[in-house]
Amino acid sequence: MKFLPLIWRNLTRNKLRSLLTAGAIALAVALVCLLRTMPEGMDRMLNEFASDNRINVHHRAGLVYSLPYVYLRRVSALPGVEASASMTWFGGVFDEDEGVTFPNFAIEPERVAAVWPDWEVAPEALADFERLRNGALVGESTLKRYGWQPGDLVTLKGTVFPLDLEFRIVGEIPGSTPYFLLQREYLDQALRGLGSPNGLDFLGTIWLRVPDPDRVDPLMQTIDGMFRNSDAPTASETEKSYFQNFFSLLEGFLTVVLIVTGLVALCIVFIAANTASLAVRERLREIAVLRALGFGRRLVFGTLVAEAALLAAAAGAAGAGAAFGLTQWLRSAGDQVPDLGPLGGFIVSRAILVEGLFLALFVGMLAGVVPSFGAARRRVAQTLREVF
Amino acid sequence: MIDLEEVSREYRRGADRVLALDRVSLHVPRGRFVALMGPSGSGKSTLLNILAGLDRPSSGGVRVADTDLGRLSDEDLARFRASHIGFVFQFFNLIPVLDARANVELPLLLTRLGRAERRERAETALRIVGLQERARHAPGELSGGEQQRVAIARAIVSDPEIVVADEPTGDLDAKNAADTLELLRELRLAFDKTVVMVTHDPRGREYVDQVFELDKGVLQPGSDGSDTGVT
Repeated sequence: MKFLPLIWRNLTRNKLRSLLTAGAIALAVALVCLLRTMPEGMDRMLNEFASDNRINVHHRAGLVYSLPYVYLRRVSALPGVEASASMTWFGGVFDEDEGVTFPNFAIEPERVAAVWPDWEVAPEALADFERLRNGALVGESTLKRYGWQPGDLVTLKGTVFPLDLEFRIVGEIPGSTPYFLLQREYLDQALRGLGSPNGLDFLGTIWLRVPDPDRVDPLMQTIDGMFRNSDAPTASETEKSYFQNFFSLLEGFLTVVLIVTGLVALCIVFIAANTASLAVRERLREIAVLRALGFGRRLVFGTLVAEAALLAAAAGAAGAGAAFGLTQWLRSAGDQVPDLGPLGGFIVSRAILVEGLFLALFVGMLAGVVPSFGAARRRVAQTLREVF
Repeated sequence: MIDLEEVSREYRRGADRVLALDRVSLHVPRGRFVALMGPSGSGKSTLLNILAGLDRPSSGGVRVADTDLGRLSDEDLARFRASHIGFVFQFFNLIPVLDARANVELPLLLTRLGRAERRERAETALRIVGLQERARHAPGELSGGEQQRVAIARAIVSDPEIVVADEPTGDLDAKNAADTLELLRELRLAFDKTVVMVTHDPRGREYVDQVFELDKGVLQPGSDGSDTGVT
């Protein structure tokens, strides 16, 4: 502790340099902390809207391939299935420049409440959705994003089907679900109006609600077995697994981001090491004098490393604190600013804060050790001869 | 107090070998103020470094304050310097980010003294060199002469038996050089310190008890510690 004033004075002798180095470390730590929130944040998001007792049935070849509409009736009749509905991608855009900004599907309106009771859609809204052929149920976040209200008329331009459809918003789906749901029959009739004799005779995916969790796996095997040798074989999975697949597409991206982050952190080590080397080189004379006065190698080395570690720890605390503050703000602002989307689910936890601090300390010590070791082991007489 | 026996120091400079000291034997009794003089490259500073425990001889024995320096490890040598040797350098070498009192206090950080006592001793040392009023000034706010006096206060604050000074007047004007030499003589007279000074300054002869002349690493005949008659 008695060396702390000396360490502090050395640390603050070139304030701008110390500040810039600390800024670089703080930025790297904040970046790493924010990225470390991603896996946990995605899990949190998944748990919020995905359930283990809903099954999704889609074409084995992938989500872009459709299934015959008759499949819905066949799987709905299986024992254990309490409710079922189909979803077919409409792919409508509100603003052509933006492209598709929210998922919009054709669905059987009378089945929504039974398959997704956890959405807690108001009964009046559900009733209106069934009653009005051009009715649309829209997720709360999408409503907020575009400033829409129930009763508004909205036109979506089709990107899959060559038609534009006008909808009247009849209610909202509370929570973070961004869906825009339209009546399947509305799309079917629009297609027939365009001259398609069969209308909408296919579907995108089927959703089944299976209250008994023990029935989920056998049911999925039964369904896939039913259609194994057909022209449109199916692949069934739970809702969680279905959405996890979406996120797994992001995992590769996440890995790249993490690699880049690691490289950024490494760059920061080099920058900090370079700064530490400069600082030590400028003070070779002082270090030699301290050694002459009786400061041992280990003591000189210790004070130099402590200096780098102190700077890094302060910078790390600032960076981790900034990341924590930012995620807290996103969490509280998420309700008011729909554009923030699910970012509110990404929280810098205590464990991530500690990791950030340790990373900063590691960076600081790594950066400080090499030049400090070199300076401390120089022979005093040699250094005095060279610098005087 | 200081005994050097047949001390030689050889350096490698590329493929060449340079003999900086050639079998130098020297005896400095306790409480003497001695000067090591000679032309540049004569080996004065090398000799000073060796007797102060900053460098090791290639051969020969060095005994200082009843300690055989050749037997000490680097860490022990650092501890030896901290407790037995005070240093004064040509360019003062104060730590620029510390004020005068903190600079003087530096050697005391290596002792077990508490903060209050360290400060008290540092202020006493500054009083001895006449700079108690400048205790809170940074080196940059002091004149060259004042900085050298702070350096002398730093050299004596831990009460070492020996003070070594490497060209202490080399960067000072005549007036400040005379003040510094007078102060070093005071250390020997008032505090019974053994002072060894390397200097080019011929005025140094007027203040010291003995002069040792070196040339090309060899102690010159007649400079075997003969008294200058100065007290």
